[in-house]
Amino acid sequence: MSGLSDLRLGFIPLTDCAPLIAAQAQGFFEEEGLAVELVREASWATVRDKVAVGALDGAHMLAPMALATAAEDSRSAVLAPLALNRNGSAITVSTALFEALDGVTANLAGPPPSAARLQALIAERRARGDGPLTFAVVFPHSMHNYLLRYWLAQGGIDPDRDVRLVVIPPPRMVERMRAGEVDGFCVGAPWNAVAELEGVGRILAASSQLWPGGPDKVLGISGSLAGQKPDELRALLRAIIRGAAWADAPENREALIAHLAGPGRIEATPMAIARALEHELVFHRDAAGLPRREHGLWFLSQMIRWGQIDADRDLEAIVDQVYRPDLYRDAALSLGPVLEPTLVFPDAVEPVEARLFDGVMFDPAAARAYAERFAIGRSQN
Amino acid sequence: MRVLVIDPDQVRAELVAEGLEGIEPLEVRHSALYDEAEVLAFAPDVVVIAAESPDRDTLDSLKESSHGHPVVMFVDRSEPGLAEQAVRAGVAAYVVDGLAPNRIRSILDVAMSRFALTRQLRSDLARAKADLESRKVVDRAKGLLMKERGLDEDGAYRLLRKLAMDRGKPIGVIAADLLAFAGVLKGDAS
Repeated sequence: MSGLSDLRLGFIPLTDCAPLIAAQAQGFFEEEGLAVELVREASWATVRDKVAVGALDGAHMLAPMALATAAEDSRSAVLAPLALNRNGSAITVSTALFEALDGVTANLAGPPPSAARLQALIAERRARGDGPLTFAVVFPHSMHNYLLRYWLAQGGIDPDRDVRLVVIPPPRMVERMRAGEVDGFCVGAPWNAVAELEGVGRILAASSQLWPGGPDKVLGISGSLAGQKPDELRALLRAIIRGAAWADAPENREALIAHLAGPGRIEATPMAIARALEHELVFHRDAAGLPRREHGLWFLSQMIRWGQIDADRDLEAIVDQVYRPDLYRDAALSLGPVLEPTLVFPDAVEPVEARLFDGVMFDPAAARAYAERFAIGRSQN
Repeated sequence: MRVLVIDPDQVRAELVAEGLEGIEPLEVRHSALYDEAEVLAFAPDVVVIAAESPDRDTLDSLKESSHGHPVVMFVDRSEPGLAEQAVRAGVAAYVVDGLAPNRIRSILDVAMSRFALTRQLRSDLARAKADLESRKVVDRAKGLLMKERGLDEDGAYRLLRKLAMDRGKPIGVIAADLLAFAGVLKGDAS
C-alpha cells in the first residue's frame, strides 16, 4: 500500500543487533524502499527455523548456526550476505568463583588470563569430591561455545569432561548465575556488563582479548529472498550497512543506546549497553561487515575439533554455500559514492589474519590440520 | 505419564492436562520457565514447550545427551511451515494452537516413540562408527605385524587374536596398544 516492500527481520536481545535497530530508527530501510518489521525472538533455534521456512526474511544470527544449518542439510538455503559485528562477547565468572580464583586479575586491557588457575581449582575440587563447575554458552553452534572451549582447553581443561557445559538463552544468563546454577558463561553484550553491574559476576576476558577483531553474528537470510527478490536484498543490505556505519560513529552513541534500551528491544540499562559499545564492538569500520570466508572456515574447524561435524567434510563447499561476500560487496560498492567517506569500500579487501590469544595462526587452507593440532579435542578421522 | 509444560500461558497448560484426562497415573506440571533442578527432580516423560519460549535452545541442546527428553512444541497457527521445520530440526512433534484436546494424547505418544527410535538409531550409528574405527586399527596393526614379523595376513590376525585372548581384552584395544608401542619404539630409535 505504501509502495514499499515488506520484510520481516528477527533479532535476539543483544547489543550486536545494533545495525538492524539503527537502520530502523534512522529511517534507512524506508529510504531504501523497504518497510521492515523487526521481530524480537526468544531463541536461536526458532530464529533458525523461521528463516529456513521464510517466516522471517532474515535475522540477526549466530554465524556458526548458519554454517551448521548447511552442514546438516545441503539443501538448506540460509545465506550470510553480511557480518553484523566483530568482538562484543566475554567470559564472565560468578563473584564466588572469581574469589576462589584468588590471584586471577581481570585486566581487559592486556592479554587474557590463562585458564591454568581455573584448572588447578578444578583439580582441588575434584580431590575434595565436589561436583563439576557449570559453564553456560548460548548455543552449541556459536562463537561463544568455541571461544569458551578454546580458552578452557588452552588452560588444560577438557570442556566435555572437566566442567559441565549447558546452553542458556542470553537474557536468562544473569538470573541463572544469580541463582547459583552457573559458575561462568560466555555470552554477547550487554549481558556480561549486566552481571558485573549487578554484582553477580566478574568479566574475566573479553572476546577482543581472546581474538582481536574476531567474528560473531551475521545477517542470516532465507535463500528465497536472494533468489526471488535480489533488488530487495540489495536494498536491505544497503540499509543495514548504513545502520552499521551510523552505529560505529561515536557521536551517535548516546542515541544508539537509547534505541537499544527502548521498549521491546534489549531490556537492559543504558549503562550496561554502553560498555561494549565504548570499547569492543565494531559494526562497519575495517570492513567488519564483510562475511569472510576465512572466518567461516575457522568456525568449521572448531566444529571438527569438538566433534560436531566429521573431519572429512568439504569445508570450502559449506562456506561457499552460506557466506556470500559477493552480495555484500555489490551492496557496499553501490553505496560508496552516496555517503562519503565512511561508506567507501575498497575494491579489494586483504584477507585478515586469524590468530587467537595463544598466537597460533589459522591457515584457512589447512583448516582440518588446525582442528586436529590441539591436545584437547574430539575430532575423529 | 509425567508431562512438563513450559509456557508462560497457563491456559495452554490446562489444555494439555485436559487432553490427557483418563491416563493413569498422570502428572502434569506447569512452569513458565525452564528450571533445571525442577526438571531433574520431576523427570518428565515428555516436555511440551511454547515455540516462543526462550528455553527452547536449552532443550534443543539436551536432545543428544543422556538426560534429554522428547520435546513437543506448541506453535501458533499464523506461521505455516514453522512446525514442520522444527520437527526436521529435532523437535519430536508439535501441537498447533487451537487443536482439539482429544488429539493431544496421540501426539505425545508419537513424540515419545519417535524420540526413543531416534535415540536407538543414534546409538546404533555410534556403535557402527566405533566398530569401523576398531577395524581400521586392527588392519593397521596387522600390517605392522606382517612387516615386522614377516607374517602373512592370516598369521598376523591369529597372533592379534591370541594376544587379545591371553590378556582378556578386545582385539581393537590390543591393536591400538601395539600401534602405540610401535610408535614409541620408532621415536626412541630416531
